[in-house]
Parts: sequence; structure tokens; C-alpha cells
Amino acid sequence: MARFLLRRIFQSVLTVFGVITAAFFLVRLAGDPTLLLLPVEASAEDIARIRNALGLDQPLIVQYFKFLTNAVQGDFGVSLRQNTSAMQLVLERVPATLELAVISFFVGTGLAFVLGILMRMTRARWLRELITWIALGRQAIPLFSFGLFLILIFAIWLRWLPSFGRGTWQHLVLPALTLGTYELALYLRLFNASLAAEQRLDYVRTAYAKGQGHLNVLLKHMLPNALLPLVTVAGINLGLLLGGTVVTETVFSWPGIGRLIVQSVSQRDFPVILAGTFLISVMFVVINLIVDILYGILDPRVRLT
Amino acid sequence: MPKLNLSQITAITLLFTMAVLVIIVPLLPGYDPYKQNLAGALVPIGGTSITGEFYLLGTDTLGRNMLHRLALAGQVSALIGLGAVAVSLTMGVFLGLIAGYFRGPLESVIMGLADLQLSIPRVLLLIAVTAIVGPSVINLALILGLTSWVAYGRVARGMVLSLREREFILSAKTQGATAAWNIRKHLLPNVLPQMTIVGSYEFGMIIVMEASLSYLGLGVQPPLPSWGMMVSEGQNYLALAPHLAILPSVALFILVAGFQFLSQAFTRENDLELIR
Repeated sequence: MARFLLRRIFQSVLTVFGVITAAFFLVRLAGDPTLLLLPVEASAEDIARIRNALGLDQPLIVQYFKFLTNAVQGDFGVSLRQNTSAMQLVLERVPATLELAVISFFVGTGLAFVLGILMRMTRARWLRELITWIALGRQAIPLFSFGLFLILIFAIWLRWLPSFGRGTWQHLVLPALTLGTYELALYLRLFNASLAAEQRLDYVRTAYAKGQGHLNVLLKHMLPNALLPLVTVAGINLGLLLGGTVVTETVFSWPGIGRLIVQSVSQRDFPVILAGTFLISVMFVVINLIVDILYGILDPRVRLT
Repeated sequence: MPKLNLSQITAITLLFTMAVLVIIVPLLPGYDPYKQNLAGALVPIGGTSITGEFYLLGTDTLGRNMLHRLALAGQVSALIGLGAVAVSLTMGVFLGLIAGYFRGPLESVIMGLADLQLSIPRVLLLIAVTAIVGPSVINLALILGLTSWVAYGRVARGMVLSLREREFILSAKTQGATAAWNIRKHLLPNVLPQMTIVGSYEFGMIIVMEASLSYLGLGVQPPLPSWGMMVSEGQNYLALAPHLAILPSVALFILVAGFQFLSQAFTRENDLELIR
């Protein structure tokens, strides 16, 4: 277990290092940031002075190590538009994004769980088919389209729920439904496949043979085993959800990191874009690490591979 | 004529509808996606403007024909999607083949790169890159292509790992075939059919990515239309003229669902071939 842990942590550190390196080269690709800071009529002397102040006149390798040391400490420089540290701006948005991602995660897995059990229990073939088709259809609708449909139905026509902003639980319903149901088809397929695989095993037959009811066998015997793959994939997808928050936050004007990044792009505020991308990538890596470790604890077979 | 199953029929129906929109509609007389008609702005679906013109799918805020806008946007999306798939397929197959054939440190580096790329959420990576290089149709196809090679690379490498141990490769090697020859003449033809399946699935994904970027204002730029951008413009008129946001959404749905079912239909048929 210790070796498995060490290897995974080493991989994660390597990944974060890779992300920072990629970020550095992206910034260099963008060209000289001094031209963004200064007015067009700035003299060559002014440009040279700013370049010196920002350390841009030093060799690339020196700049790279400086960027690296700063980035590791979460320092991505000062926002070009607001005179605050870029990381500070991003950190303020973390609670909103986490709230959306975590609630969406539970909406998605919860729905998959309930629908999956329903599909196992029912004898009606049409109901199973209907659920599968709805989930597949949902997957083919992009996040922003689905979000707008929900706004149209629940905010404009029915006037039940607010269409934008953050605050009460009502504000959370539509964004969480939008983001949470996106991967429903995947969860359902996985859950069903693992339930079907368990169904064939001897212990299930034994349970039926000693007279246990269908629901009892399903919930008490099969579920603990069948849940494992669902937990892993959903855990990995909690990271993917973080990516999905970008679009969802824009649709619902949700004040999270994603929306901040999108706004910063139109203002060409590179430190904020990099700080936001970096932070979400780190969250992504950390979540994957935690899921892997949890999985290693839950299922001893994983540690061997 | 083989009997078609439900997902094949669905795929064909959806993709046929899309083909009519993207290929046939631009050939119709009077096709002009840019023509403005301020007297006939925001005409609903199947409505008629004050000047008496009939619009099958209505008009947008500037009185431009929605059907024609949707068709042009479809062409733009399809073009970007095809370009991106071509780039990512070439790159992924190439890297996957050499990683699987040569093994060793080269494989570690290539697969390490793949893992690294997967550890940054794709939307964010795309946003960061387009923010810096600037959006244009060619840039978008390139960026989307360069960031989606991993699926092809992994599948190709996995297949080569088993193919390289087979007798026909050994036989070619004993006859003095070079690595380049083996990869090009023996491995590539074996890997390509699987790659088209991955490609048909990825095409849908890339279209959604492009639409998402365009929705965020970072993709296709005006005056060229894009479904994602049309949805974003329509969001402001959601109460007044919902067809502005709904129609491009439906178009996206038809295309994405069509390719989803297509790759599903493909997979099943191939599985059957393997069993036989």
C-alpha cells in the first residue's frame, strides 16, 4: 500500500509540474506582456524599464525557474485589470465552484442510483428502454443548450425558479440539474453492467435459495459490490465536472472560477486565466488522487496493478 | 439489404436530416445567410414578415433567415470538426503506433504526455490556448485536433502491443523489414478500421467542444455564424423569441446524437465480426 501511495503521489506532483511548465510556455507564446500593460505611444525606454522590472530581459531558463518558484507558491502575478493578486481573485471564487460541482455530483450519482435500482426492480421492459433513451438523449444535448431549456421552462414559462445568480437553494436547482445529468447515461450503463455481473455470481443464487426477497438481495448483497465501479468513475468525473462548471457558470451567471476565467479571457487578463486554470487542474489532480487512494482501500486488488 | 436495428435507423435518419440542412439547403434558390431584413426581424417559426415573405424557421434579430444561418453554421462546424478529426487522428495514430512498436522510454514519454493532457480539463485547456493564439476557423481546427489525439493514441498503442507479437510481424522482421516498413505496411492497415470508430465518436465530441467555445465567445467569430454563438445570442431573447436559442440547439442535438448512434451501430457490427 505504501508503494502504491508513494507512486500515485509522485505521479500527481509530476502532473502539477507539467501543468506549470505548459502554462509557462503558453504565456511565452502569447508574446510580450509589456505591450499589454503600456499604452501604444510608450517610448522604447519605458518598454525597456517595464521589461526589466518584470524580469523579461533575463535568459529564458532563469525566467522559467522564477515562474516555477512563484507558481508553486500560488503566485501568478497581479491581475492586469484589477490591482489585486490573480490567485486572490481566483480563491474568492472557489466556494461557489465547489458548491456547484459537489451538488451536481450528488444529483448525478443519486439519480443514477435511483434509476438503476428502478430498472433492476421493474418488469416493464418499456420503462427500462425509456430511461435508457432519455439518458442517452440527455448526453447528446450540450450543457449550455440544456441549461437554456431549463431556464425557458422553469424560469420563464412556469416562473418557479430563478434563472441566474447564487444565494438560496432555489438558485442551485437548475445549474445542478444541468451539470449533474450530463453523465447520467454513463453512470447508468456502468451501474447496470456491474449489477448484471453480480447477478450471475454464486452468492446471489445462495441468497435467493435461502429465501431472501428480490429487494433484499439487491440492496444488501449486490449493492455493496456493484457500487464500487460507480464510485470510481463518478469520482474521476467529479474532476470532469470541474471543467463542465465553466460553461454552466456562464449560462447561469454563477459567480465561480469558470465564469471568472471566461470574463478574464475577453479582458485579456492572462495572470487570472493562468491562476484559474492552474487551480482547477490542481483540484482535478488532487481529487483523482483521493479517489485512487479510496479505491485502493475499498478494493485490495487495485493495489497490485 | 440487411435488416437494420433501431440505433442504425436512428443514426441514418438523424444524419440524413443533417445532410439535407448542410448540403441541400445552401443549393436552394435565394440562399443568403447574410441578407438582413429589419422589417422582418424576429419572425417566429413558420411566420411571415410584414413585407409578406414566408420564413420556414423564422428570422433572427437582424431579420436574417434562420434556416440559411443554421445551414452555414453547420458547414462551419462540420469543416472545423473534420479538420480537427484529421489532425488528431493522424497525430494520435502516429504517436500510438511508434509508442507501441518501439516501447521503452519513447513509450513512457508519449503516454506520460497523454496522461498530462488528460489531467487538465479539456475545456479549460482550450480556453487558455484560444485566449492566447486567438480564435479563427483554422486555429480552432488545429487546437481542437491537437488536444484530442489521446483517444486514438491509446487505442492504437493498445492494439499494436498485441499485434507486434504476432507471426506476420516476426516473419516480416526476419525478411529484413525496417521499422518504418512494418509500421506503415503491416500495423497501420490493422489499426485504421478501429480508428474510424473512435473518429466517429470523437467527431461529435469535437462539435460540442467547438459549440461550447463559440457559446463562450471564444470560438468562431462573427460575421461567420456558429450554432454555439447563435444559442448565446438567442439567450437574451429567450422570453421574446425562444426559437433563436432552440433551433441551433436542436441542430446540435441532431448532429451529436446522430454520431453517437453511428458509433454505437459500428461497434456492434464489429463485435459480430470478431465473434465470427
